Amino acid sequence: MTGRPGGRPLVPAYLSTGGVARPSRPQLERLSVLTGTGTPPPAGLPAAQLALLDALDDGSLTVVEAAALLRLPVSAVRVLAGELVDRELVLARAPIPPAGRFDPDLLERVADGLRALKHT
Amino acid sequence: MIELPDLATGGLAVGMLSALALGGGLLRAQRQQAKQRAEIDALRRRLKGVLPTFTAEVEHLAHQRVPAAARQLTHPHVAVPGPLHPQTAGSALGHALEQVLGKVRTELDTQRTRIDAAAQAGMRGATREIQAALYRLQDALRQLQQKYDDPELAQTLFQLDHENEQSLRRAQVAAVVCGAWVGLAREESHLVEAVTGGQARLAGYHRVRVHNHLAAGTGLVSHAVEPVAIIVAELLDNALRHSAPDTDVVVNLEHVHHGACVTVDDAGLGMTQDERARAQRLVAGSEPILLTDLGDPPRMGLAAIGQLTRQFDLSVDLSSPSPYGGVRAVLRVDSHLLSDIDPAERPPAASAPRSTRTATRAEASTGSGAEPSTASHGYGADRDDDASGADADAVSGHHAPRDAGGLPQRRRRARVAAAARDVPAARPATRHPDRAAAALGALQAGTAAARTTAGEPTKDDSTAVPEAGQAARRRPEAAPDDTGETDKTDKTDRNDHTHQDVNEGGTAR
Repeated sequence: MTGRPGGRPLVPAYLSTGGVARPSRPQLERLSVLTGTGTPPPAGLPAAQLALLDALDDGSLTVVEAAALLRLPVSAVRVLAGELVDRELVLARAPIPPAGRFDPDLLERVADGLRALKHT
Repeated sequence: MIELPDLATGGLAVGMLSALALGGGLLRAQRQQAKQRAEIDALRRRLKGVLPTFTAEVEHLAHQRVPAAARQLTHPHVAVPGPLHPQTAGSALGHALEQVLGKVRTELDTQRTRIDAAAQAGMRGATREIQAALYRLQDALRQLQQKYDDPELAQTLFQLDHENEQSLRRAQVAAVVCGAWVGLAREESHLVEAVTGGQARLAGYHRVRVHNHLAAGTGLVSHAVEPVAIIVAELLDNALRHSAPDTDVVVNLEHVHHGACVTVDDAGLGMTQDERARAQRLVAGSEPILLTDLGDPPRMGLAAIGQLTRQFDLSVDLSSPSPYGGVRAVLRVDSHLLSDIDPAERPPAASAPRSTRTATRAEASTGSGAEPSTASHGYGADRDDDASGADADAVSGHHAPRDAGGLPQRRRRARVAAAARDVPAARPATRHPDRAAAALGALQAGTAAARTTAGEPTKDDSTAVPEAGQAARRRPEAAPDDTGETDKTDKTDRNDHTHQDVNEGGTAR
């Protein structure tokens, strides 16, 4: 919906969810990771949900990424993803926490171990 | 001496003669006078008869014929009565009275057009301002929608956006009826987007079912986009208004010989013959529109459609009843208003129903066994590409747009494809946790085997990697949707990394 440079979007965002903005799964966050389960979608699935499934066809996406790809607001994608998760067409995972810094001691010990392995 | 008596007799004779003459004259005069008096009486009687007739004729003109003639301008079915006495019709009086009527008619018509034009100009100015303000409001609302995703706030924003769309539609239609421009320049868009956009402007949009039978990428030239959206919105509004709230309004988008058709069917009451004829006249747009013709409150929808069909060379037909019992409205867009949009480069909006054509093509490719399990949705053309086996295509998936060189264009897809060029088999296997587990198990088994044979370092590479490779090779057999890529599974180390990533994501929860 957004991001198209030259003009006002023709189809408003509320149409994608039928006017619903309260997700069925409130635990979905902006950075929750969505993955398609590969189950063939049932007939009569709303167009926007199909579009989201298509976007997930290549692998996993976070909710914000999917929103940017579909040009929909995050709130709409959360509703869509919630419905797809309810239908077991999509798996949702909690956001991947940012990796902490590795303990240099541990890294050194691993390196030593590898070296030892190589020399034996 | 005779003179005196002679004179006397002479005088007497003369006197008698003159008396006779006078008497005769007097008699004649009296007779003439009597005749004249009778004539005058007759004339007066006639006049007494004519005057009331004339007065009655003029009164009839004032009280019956002029109002009827005035009413006839707005209601063509009103008959103007003729003169009171049929014999005046051909007379000079009759002609004069007809002229009066004629002049009244022309003058009324001129004044009516002038007043209507003034009213239209006033309304045009007002609605243009309102329309611009509502567009600004729409921008603000959509920015807020992007910015905040709190469900309660988003719900309110969605409602406000919808309300705003409806107000915008009304303002825009009023402006169009008053002869204004549609008020918004759009870029080339998919026809289905224009239809869905029109649908979104209505309160009952939930009841609309859009079936898109167009080929993917059927677009509208830029200047036809907004008119088509307005026309579809008005046709749908009529359909929704005149059908029961528990029935659906069905929209079909189809190709016809010289363009494309948008058919709107409702299951309502339908229209009578007269209503149908009036509606058809309005949407044809052949007659100039007067606000006073539209009723109170003015029914602007059909009039707006008429304006737009005339201005933009579209055509709307309301003449046939719907097989569902209601009205069938057909909007025809001629091919010179259609354009081709590359659906890969510019996909239609996510909410726009996808074409049934691609689905049938995808099913066809399912039949040929190219992508058996996942081909029931998505774009058939790209599935075919998958089957044809080009590396980048196979991995970037059917959603990825490609340029002429066959390379993906969109950012995210480009990244996936770039990674895939090194390790083409990475993608399809990343989904199932059990497969991931199997792969990880294979890796562990491989490293374990390597450790047990650690005494013979030369064997490390030869045992660990092939086993993992075989594990990966088994997977496509288990999942038939990987069949296209069995020949690329020899590089499995990338595969296993992705499995690990997925698993880490899972355990981090």
